[in-house]
Amino acid sequence: MLALLKLIQSIIKTLHSEGTPGQVAAGMALGAALGLTPLMNVHNLLVFSLIVILNVSFGGGMLGWALFVPLGFILDPVFHAIGLQLLEAPSLRELWTSMYNTPLVPYTNFNNTVVLGSVVGWVVLAVPIFFAARWAVARYRATIGERVQQSKFYQAITASKAYNIYRLFRPE
Amino acid sequence: MKIFRWKAIGPLLLFLAIIAILLWLFAEPVAEDTTEEVGTELLGTQVDIGKLDIHAGEAAVDLHLLEIADPFNVARNLVEAEEIRLKLNPLALAEKKLVVENLRLGGVKFGTTRKTPAKPVEGDGFAPQALRSVREWAQRFDVPILKLTPIDTVKQLVLNPTQLTTVKTAQALAGRADSAKKGLEQSFKQLNVEQTVDSARALATRLKATDPRKLGLEGTRKAVEDTRASLKQLDATKRQLDNLERQVKGGAGSLSAGLQNLDEARKKDYAFARGLLKLPTFSAPEIGEAFFGKVSIDRFQQALYYTELARRYMPPGLLPKQDPGPERLRAAGVNVRFPKEQAWPKFLVQLGQVDLEIGGDSPLRGAYEAVVQGLTSDPTLYGKPTIVRTSRTAEGSAIAGIDVSALIDHVNPQRVRDSASARLRGVDLPTLDVPGLPFRLNPGRGAARLDFALRNDQLSGRWSLSSNQVAWALDSAGRKLNTLEGLVWRVVSGLKDLSVDARVSGGLRAPKLAVSSNLDRAIADRLQAVIGEEVAKAEKMVRAKVDSVVAGRVEPVRKQIVAVQSQAESRLGSERKRVESVERELQAELKRLSGGLAPEIKLPKLGI
Repeated sequence: MLALLKLIQSIIKTLHSEGTPGQVAAGMALGAALGLTPLMNVHNLLVFSLIVILNVSFGGGMLGWALFVPLGFILDPVFHAIGLQLLEAPSLRELWTSMYNTPLVPYTNFNNTVVLGSVVGWVVLAVPIFFAARWAVARYRATIGERVQQSKFYQAITASKAYNIYRLFRPE
Repeated sequence: MKIFRWKAIGPLLLFLAIIAILLWLFAEPVAEDTTEEVGTELLGTQVDIGKLDIHAGEAAVDLHLLEIADPFNVARNLVEAEEIRLKLNPLALAEKKLVVENLRLGGVKFGTTRKTPAKPVEGDGFAPQALRSVREWAQRFDVPILKLTPIDTVKQLVLNPTQLTTVKTAQALAGRADSAKKGLEQSFKQLNVEQTVDSARALATRLKATDPRKLGLEGTRKAVEDTRASLKQLDATKRQLDNLERQVKGGAGSLSAGLQNLDEARKKDYAFARGLLKLPTFSAPEIGEAFFGKVSIDRFQQALYYTELARRYMPPGLLPKQDPGPERLRAAGVNVRFPKEQAWPKFLVQLGQVDLEIGGDSPLRGAYEAVVQGLTSDPTLYGKPTIVRTSRTAEGSAIAGIDVSALIDHVNPQRVRDSASARLRGVDLPTLDVPGLPFRLNPGRGAARLDFALRNDQLSGRWSLSSNQVAWALDSAGRKLNTLEGLVWRVVSGLKDLSVDARVSGGLRAPKLAVSSNLDRAIADRLQAVIGEEVAKAEKMVRAKVDSVVAGRVEPVRKQIVAVQSQAESRLGSERKRVESVERELQAELKRLSGGLAPEIKLPKLGI
């Protein structure tokens, strides 16, 4: 419940004042990797570290994760097909063989069709996600953002103590 | 604007440290569960591990109390091992490959009873599929059940013609003969020989009445051209008749083959009618199969199952291979392996050693060692076949012993060979029930041998059993033995020696089984002496009854086929004669016409 509350807080605060639309959008583009690709994989630890270390919106990252999880499930058959095409491509066989037999690289599960397909899918979608999110956040703030900020719901959410923990990762 | 959020480094490191601690804390239970799951999935039978210890510093794993259930008998374990130590290759582990440099099993027991029955493995995994497919394979054998119905119960045989294969075959054949006849008539109609012959004959008659010298050069040339055209047409008709003759011969051949099928069908009907009477069997091979067919097939079925698993998990070749992905909430996908020459295989047991100590008064007493070499997921990469062998490492009894050897050669994709051989001497053989009879056979202590080989898709196997301490038990609770069963019981219960020899051969799709035992002849001779004459009479009656039902339906078909063949041949002959006759007339006229032409006019060769 606390995690859910924190997520709602982060999403709402993200959309309002935390960081520029560019920072929120960059966070969402990175967070989309957590949603689009199978979570328990090494590349997601790297993406999560980037969301934390880089001066992007952490809330944006969580928002991106939350938004893209259902899409990831829906697109799994497409990711599998993309991954299979790539892993079976004769021109890439030498590359995969070399990676497969290199220490530590196989732990990334790159040879799994869904993992490879979804990572490639995320890389391709990351830039459109960034620009779309930046435009959407800017529009939100310019239109209904002010009214939402005045609502009782927003006041209640931001007054929660749990929100204070989250503030640690606010963009500067 | 800053790029990095330096103050988040501390919490991030803390987060990573928590993950590392959680991994460390839960690595063993997670590895234990994963090993059980993967083992169960791969072997198609429940795999249980009591405890798993990881020794990271030594790159070793200890398994305690491993139990692998028998996929063919959920109440017992195929193998049970108290201690297993796997010494792993750390370099291969860095490449996510499991290379077991040394595998040591201690406290190994076979065929132990399980405390709780194993759960059957369901689903669409390869192992459950293989299990289903070998069970289907076992159903391909038509193992007879020993019928020992008293001969005095055989009374009247009533046959329904629609149940007889011969009747059905005859009806189908009559239909084919009818269509062949119609087809032939249609072909003659399309050929229209009569019109061609009439037109040629009219030309010949007209030419006969003309004098080339009166026709003039143009008239003669025109007459020659008409003759040549008519001869060509006749030639084409002759070729069409030849084609038709070939078709007729082909169709006749097929109908003759159909007549032969009628004879085969009649043999089946004799067997069917004999089955309705439930006549007792006293053929020695049938008795052998009835007594020991099922138990022999069970042995071969188990050997085939493990061979199928070996072929699936140890495929030959160096091309990329696909395995199912891991189970998770998201789609599993497929894991593609990319074997590379001079690199580690995905899985390899370089050397596995099993120490067995059999003590006490058992004739098997002694120390044994079983060795497994080169068990790998990529045999071509490893380059050597997998070898399994057992040997006695300490003095024991001369009359007893265990010799097991196996060779799994998947190195060359063109020559895949699997063979296994197990010889057990001085062992307590399992009790066997005789199918269809309330007899139980306890072979006591004796010898058993199983040889099994699969070369590409050709299998050969032999299972034999011998004992001189056989005990028979009657399990006739609830029913009384009839006279024939009593007779067989008296024969078998007096026998102390048992020798069974079962052989399987042929392709995987059409395997053949032959079983013989010392019981067969003894039982067959006794049954023959007592009921042979009566059974022979009953069989004669069966054949007569089938013949009487079938004859009225087969003979008209036979005649119909003969008639169709002779009519076709006769019509072809007469049509050919007509064509040849008019052709000769036209050739004569052509010669006459060309004789009247000027010498400088050279007629082209007709090539007829």
